[in-house]
Amino acid sequence: MNKHIRIAAAVLIAALVAVPMFAARGAADFSHLVVLGDSYGAGFESGSLNERHQPWSWGAVLARQVGYDICPATAVATDDCFAVPLVSYPGLGNELTLTSLIPGPVIAPAPGSAAPRMINFARPYNNLSIPGATVGALLTLTGAETPTAGEPTAVSMARFILRGLGTPVQQAIAQRPSFIALWIGGNDYLNVMFSGTPATITPAADFKVRYEALLDALIAGAPNAGMVVGNLPSGIPPYLTLVPPVLVDPTTRQPILIGGQPVFYMVDSGNGTQAPITATTLIPLQTRDKIAQGYGLPALLRNIPPFSLLPHVGEPLSPNDVITADEISQVFTRIAEYNTIINQAAAARNIPVADVAGLFSRVSAPGGISLGPISVSSAPVTGGFYSFDFFHLTDLGYLLFGNEFIKAINEGYDTEIPLASITQLFANNGAFFPDANAAAQLSFIGTNNGITTEGLKQIQSFWQKPTILRRSRAVGH
Amino acid sequence: MRFTRLTIAVSMTCLLAASAFGSGFLIPEQGAKASAMAGAFAATADDPSAIFYNPAGIAQQRHMAAYAGTTLINFSNEFTGDPTSPVTSGVTGEYNRHTFNVPNMYAVVPLGNNFTLGVGVFAAFGLRTDWEDPWAGRYISKDADLKTTSVNPVIAWQSSDGRFAFGGGVEYRRARVILSANRMALNPFTGRIVDVANTRLVSEYGDDIGFNAGVLVKVTPRFRIGASYRTDMDIELEGDAEINQIPTGSAQLDAIIGAQLPPDQRINTVFPFPSIATIAVAFSPNDNWDVELDVIKTGWSAFEALPVNFESTPAASFVREQNWEDSNSYRIGINHNATEHWDVRGGFVYDENPQPVEAVSPLLPDSDRLGASFGAGWHAGPFTVDGSLLVLHFKDRDTDGANEEGFNGMYETDALLWSVNLGYRF
Repeated sequence: MNKHIRIAAAVLIAALVAVPMFAARGAADFSHLVVLGDSYGAGFESGSLNERHQPWSWGAVLARQVGYDICPATAVATDDCFAVPLVSYPGLGNELTLTSLIPGPVIAPAPGSAAPRMINFARPYNNLSIPGATVGALLTLTGAETPTAGEPTAVSMARFILRGLGTPVQQAIAQRPSFIALWIGGNDYLNVMFSGTPATITPAADFKVRYEALLDALIAGAPNAGMVVGNLPSGIPPYLTLVPPVLVDPTTRQPILIGGQPVFYMVDSGNGTQAPITATTLIPLQTRDKIAQGYGLPALLRNIPPFSLLPHVGEPLSPNDVITADEISQVFTRIAEYNTIINQAAAARNIPVADVAGLFSRVSAPGGISLGPISVSSAPVTGGFYSFDFFHLTDLGYLLFGNEFIKAINEGYDTEIPLASITQLFANNGAFFPDANAAAQLSFIGTNNGITTEGLKQIQSFWQKPTILRRSRAVGH
Repeated sequence: MRFTRLTIAVSMTCLLAASAFGSGFLIPEQGAKASAMAGAFAATADDPSAIFYNPAGIAQQRHMAAYAGTTLINFSNEFTGDPTSPVTSGVTGEYNRHTFNVPNMYAVVPLGNNFTLGVGVFAAFGLRTDWEDPWAGRYISKDADLKTTSVNPVIAWQSSDGRFAFGGGVEYRRARVILSANRMALNPFTGRIVDVANTRLVSEYGDDIGFNAGVLVKVTPRFRIGASYRTDMDIELEGDAEINQIPTGSAQLDAIIGAQLPPDQRINTVFPFPSIATIAVAFSPNDNWDVELDVIKTGWSAFEALPVNFESTPAASFVREQNWEDSNSYRIGINHNATEHWDVRGGFVYDENPQPVEAVSPLLPDSDRLGASFGAGWHAGPFTVDGSLLVLHFKDRDTDGANEEGFNGMYETDALLWSVNLGYRF
């Protein structure tokens, strides 16, 4: 009897040791990966969604690292590749490009027009991320909505991404996904940047209901699928910091002093009065267009050239043109609430959480992060993280974003998916093959003008395929 | 006259020697018989290569003799990036294939009954880490090339009964080094990481004087003890920094980069070479067998840093921290007189690496080594021919995320060292 008790105790102890404290749901089976998200998941970059950057979305980065090829525009439904709703260059809208650095950065939209290239692709896309989508949109949009003037971005984007085949959740489930990666929630608060008022932020209670409903719908439709979600960053993108709160000399970029004092922009304070904004007030980049017409400039500049040439000097900015420190504080509070909801919802469903917030925090720290030969920071234009709309990320930024999901999967599922490397963004500009065109750029899709066949072959071999097998399963799950 | 011509020939051969590699960057394979015994030779030291291994050993060589040969080194090094690193995940790399020729020549001349003079010319230190393009670590090192040549005259004395000998000499060593790496930057126009310049640091030959000494005691006819020491040296090197801008495809970016690049200019550095201390015992159970065990301590702690000073723009100067540690090498060799004319040899070596993990980088990724040697010697009349093969396996060296430059991963190295020497006894 004692012997049996000892054996039973040993088995029990062994079982307790063998079962991890946090067993992620489903399995790390990437035989059919589906990604759900917003513009970051779609690879929206520099004000545009186009095929030069869609293969660099965080979802596509993840897909490549687990063994997928990104489907070319000519792919058919039976091709075993990661399907993305590719849009031709210069994209929807036209990609903002850096045209000059000297004497200062000049950013302009690329000319031309674009169109979706895979509208007739005969299965749902693996990447169902929709620029502009909120949590609620993933449950409701279908792409069959009647066009209306001024419709939200998500509605117009859903038209060629969802194509009326069902909601993102429905299309994800219809694919019988083995693994679902989800990052959503940014647009539930980021509209504050464009509206200038926290009133547009989704209330935390609503966010909770929708987020949990989203997870539960996915789990109900794909009960055996592995899952990963991500938390939300609370950093301030360059979009809100590029326009200083004071009048600056456009040439020297130094504050203009009047009476020895900087000139703060004026904002409508109600009842026909106006007051200067404070040094901690943020001005969204789109407000620059109003300032260029004279809005926000104090009346005392009305008769001083060159300000006298502006038609609206003396008229205040709207409160919705700026974001006060109090409003920013409200946003940060709401993001913290969202993250609590995400963490709790994920934990209750055994879903690992990618620390996206941590990435943004590290990149925004002084000096950014050191990555081999470069440093990556949140600095505009040269920082390497934010694209030229100063809100969405660069290919490099999305690569790092995708790595946070890989880390979370590896931790949650005890897998060894290799991180994506910045060497995937090394360009051969003549360093190896002197006959290569110095301007040639590499992308996963498109031509490689000017690169010799030998050069291309060597570079492609340099982009090592991840060693993990797509159909590998997590150890112990 | 014949000796003079021989010496000149030796010098010319070594000046043309290609650089190679060794423990750290020591090359202890300086004679085919010694190499066949895995370098365990300081208590045997019975051919002219004793000038390198233990100068006291030439005292027992009572005929004028010359001994010359080379070691051909083939080695491979493969790098596999750390899958948890956003810098090196998925990265692989390997050295360009080279066969390195490390020649050696020695001559000994007895003087009277107890003295022997000798001179050796060899390359005891060398390094080449030449990464094959496209190499992701090129911003740390594309190519590192260290060449040395030593001329080592020695004199040795032995007691009349031959049981005790000591010797010593002066080593004149010259060295030069070439370091090549690319500078990289993020191209804001394209979002890609591009090469913006190649920095090639080329030194002229610098030199220094050191000393070596040794003692050999034949305790009994079948038991010998040997010890030797070679001093450390610091060779001051001067040379040129050649900084060649690489076009990025953007004239504006090129202009910005160009304004930041230092101009070509004179540079200087001090390159440290370690001391080598050996203690050895040898036992001959009968007339046909010899067994030797050597312990060699190399004073790599002298290699604390590699500073490169730019003379025109001091701000461009840099220091590569190394902080190496002294290391031991354990070698056992066996020689068997199989027939009247043939000897067969073998040995094993375990060589500790001196390099802390933080310093393991594309510049020099070192690791502990385990090797087995095989060889044979043929001798008839005045002629001797020795040959050997040393198979050296480097333990896989993982930087464990500790590389100071964030370039982490696994280095896997193997080497084959083929040695042959011809000897003639006058």
